Amino acid sequence: MTQLPYAVDAETPLNAAELNVLRAQYEKEGEMVGVQTKFNYAWGLVKSNVRADQHLGVMLLSEIFRTSPERRRECLYYLALGNYKLGNYAQARKYNDALLENEPANLQAANLRALIDDKVTKEGLMGVAIISGVAVAAGVIGGVLLRNLGRKR
Amino acid sequence: MANSDQNRDAFPDDVSIDDDTSVISTRGFEAFGRKVTTTASHLIGPITDPTSHPHYQSAMTEIHKQLQKPTLQRSVFAIARTTPTDLVRSKLSSKEIQSRALAYVPDELLRNIPASSNSYSLFQGFQASFPEFHDEGKKHKRRVSRGRKMLDERPVDPGSPHAVQRLKKDKTSMEHQLEMLGVRKNMASSEIREIDNKIANLHGMRKIILDRLANLEKEEAVLEHDIMDVESRLDEAQELADEAESLAMETPNKSEEDLSRTEEGFMSQSIYEKLPAANTPPGKKKPRNHRKKTLPILHEHFEPGTMIRSMRAHQDNITALDFDAPFGLMVSAAMDDSVRVWDLNAGRCIGTLEGHTASVRTLQVEDNFLATGSMDATIKLWDLSKAHYDPQGSQEVDEEDEDLAFVNPDDHAVDPPAGSMADCPLFTLEAHLDEITALHFRGDVLVSGSADKTLRQWDLTKGRCVQTLDVMWAAAQATAMGSSDGPWRQTSRSADGSADFVGALQVFESALACGTADGMVRLWDLRSGQVHRSLVGHTGPVTCLQFDDVHLVTGSLDRSIRIWDLRTGSIFDAYAYDHPITSMMFDTRRIVCAAGEDVVKVYDKVEGRHWDCGAGITEAEKAKSPAIIERVRIRDGYMVEGRQDGVVGVWTC
Repeated sequence: MTQLPYAVDAETPLNAAELNVLRAQYEKEGEMVGVQTKFNYAWGLVKSNVRADQHLGVMLLSEIFRTSPERRRECLYYLALGNYKLGNYAQARKYNDALLENEPANLQAANLRALIDDKVTKEGLMGVAIISGVAVAAGVIGGVLLRNLGRKR
Repeated sequence: MANSDQNRDAFPDDVSIDDDTSVISTRGFEAFGRKVTTTASHLIGPITDPTSHPHYQSAMTEIHKQLQKPTLQRSVFAIARTTPTDLVRSKLSSKEIQSRALAYVPDELLRNIPASSNSYSLFQGFQASFPEFHDEGKKHKRRVSRGRKMLDERPVDPGSPHAVQRLKKDKTSMEHQLEMLGVRKNMASSEIREIDNKIANLHGMRKIILDRLANLEKEEAVLEHDIMDVESRLDEAQELADEAESLAMETPNKSEEDLSRTEEGFMSQSIYEKLPAANTPPGKKKPRNHRKKTLPILHEHFEPGTMIRSMRAHQDNITALDFDAPFGLMVSAAMDDSVRVWDLNAGRCIGTLEGHTASVRTLQVEDNFLATGSMDATIKLWDLSKAHYDPQGSQEVDEEDEDLAFVNPDDHAVDPPAGSMADCPLFTLEAHLDEITALHFRGDVLVSGSADKTLRQWDLTKGRCVQTLDVMWAAAQATAMGSSDGPWRQTSRSADGSADFVGALQVFESALACGTADGMVRLWDLRSGQVHRSLVGHTGPVTCLQFDDVHLVTGSLDRSIRIWDLRTGSIFDAYAYDHPITSMMFDTRRIVCAAGEDVVKVYDKVEGRHWDCGAGITEAEKAKSPAIIERVRIRDGYMVEGRQDGVVGVWTC
């Protein structure tokens, strides 16, 4: 059995009923909630497509990270994954790199790093395309204006 | 330098495999740059695991990844850590910033990552617990599949490849299930461990708070004593002021001045009024019952059966003892003819009560009043608040046996100052012709039972006998009336004459219950002086009884405890021990008995459980056998027992 889920797993949301079961369990245990229950709920939230849920999930994960040192290593991966889903690539990269530093052979983490790199490049290219498009348009308009000015003179 | 060597190894590999790009591609530079950074960071940063070579492995994974990517994407933006949208979000949207702050993990925590020693990962735990959410569906499916298997098994030829395939599939799925079960098992056990840790933590917290409670109670006692002190001084001052007022009626100005001065000297009027004892009528030297103000609760938080204190009260068999409240005053009497008063809080003897010419057989403490019934046929009343005793005094002596410390029972307590009880005797009741074996008082009514075969009712305000009840006459009357209760029956057990004629008494307003040597419990009406009900059942002399508003509990030398229903007069419950019962008392929860053993027999009414409490249990490990317990008293879970060798033990119950 795999120790860690691949990033694809995070993209498949649970249905509402399942998430409710996890939430109910989490709320039932109240203040003395166990790590596993907390994680179950957090992971269910991270898998969700709703941004607010994902935020809450990441927050719970960071709580687990802070409170149970023996789970830190695993949590790094989930934090990275959660932040990746949120689009916080800088954070995601920070956590993932920290994990890879400890477990260089971790396939899931390597895979996630590749995904982050991809996303960053893609979105970066798109940003450049937009900016350059705007720049070209501005140049054209500016050129036209200049020419018009020149003609008037 | 090993690091640079490895990098040199890695770099040419990278280039040689990726042969369709030029050597001066951006990717090459970028990769080189990264590797230099990682190497540098490894050199600078702390080496977490010197045995492995993480930098080498990370370098390899990076190369591996680079090879998989199309070349186009490896552009200038690869150097960027994040995307513009992310940057914008993290700087501008307040909600995002908020959630980021909540989920922020400090860098020092990131650096402190211990190796995981868990038998299962969180994700495995998630996967394993997930099927539970659709338990019914799963079970159903399994049953169906099993049923289908059985149905399918027959028509398909077991040798066909189809069957083999299916069996293989079944096998893998079953193996998967087995694995899941293993993970779930681990989860459960680790959860138990987690809970154990929490319990241990809570236990620690409980101990700390218990200590705090003990300290608070100690402070409370000190402060209470101080308040009493101030109060008595205030009373004196008040008296002086009153006197001055009555003397100098003509000069009211001066006396008023006096009054205000004295009052201000001690305590402001408003505070004085808030004190509960402020209602004490003037003329009384001391507040009557100072102990009611604070209620010690420390003993309630101890484990049941914990010894609080043990002291050698007398040199001889304890014949009677009673106490007013947990950690309050205890009075004990023994065969050696002495009656001693004890401070249970400090475990010290306050004084000895002198007056009786023979040993005291029975006594009762209520508030600060004590009644003792002696073999010299007299009953004496005492006011314990008149004792000259300073609870804080000579504390240095007792410093080493703080609140809970064990006091060696063989240590003889520091002798109290002589005459400390000189003011205590109130008056003596003399009318009985033979030794007093039982007494009980409540309010202004005291009843006593004597070996002269009579019961007497006394009025404590007047100090006189109000009524005499002849038990033999009542028994004879019952026969004459032809009731089923029968005449006086001499039980076989009391033939040796060791049992008291009147074993126990209790009074409540006009109701009186008495247990006698014939094993009968008679309920009297004090208004008519008649027995209105007889409870027959015990086959030996009744030695102890107590009733509340519903039940009457009796103990007898026939070894049994009987619980009667007062409304119907029938037996409600009964149980027996191995030896004759010499003493019994109950509080809201427990019935405690002295039944001729070195332990107190406790019956927990709430849990319906019998257990033993006392020195017999703890001392058994040391192969010592403590003396047999003779008398036992309990109030609010605070139990005091007196033994045949004169030792008194205090326990929580």
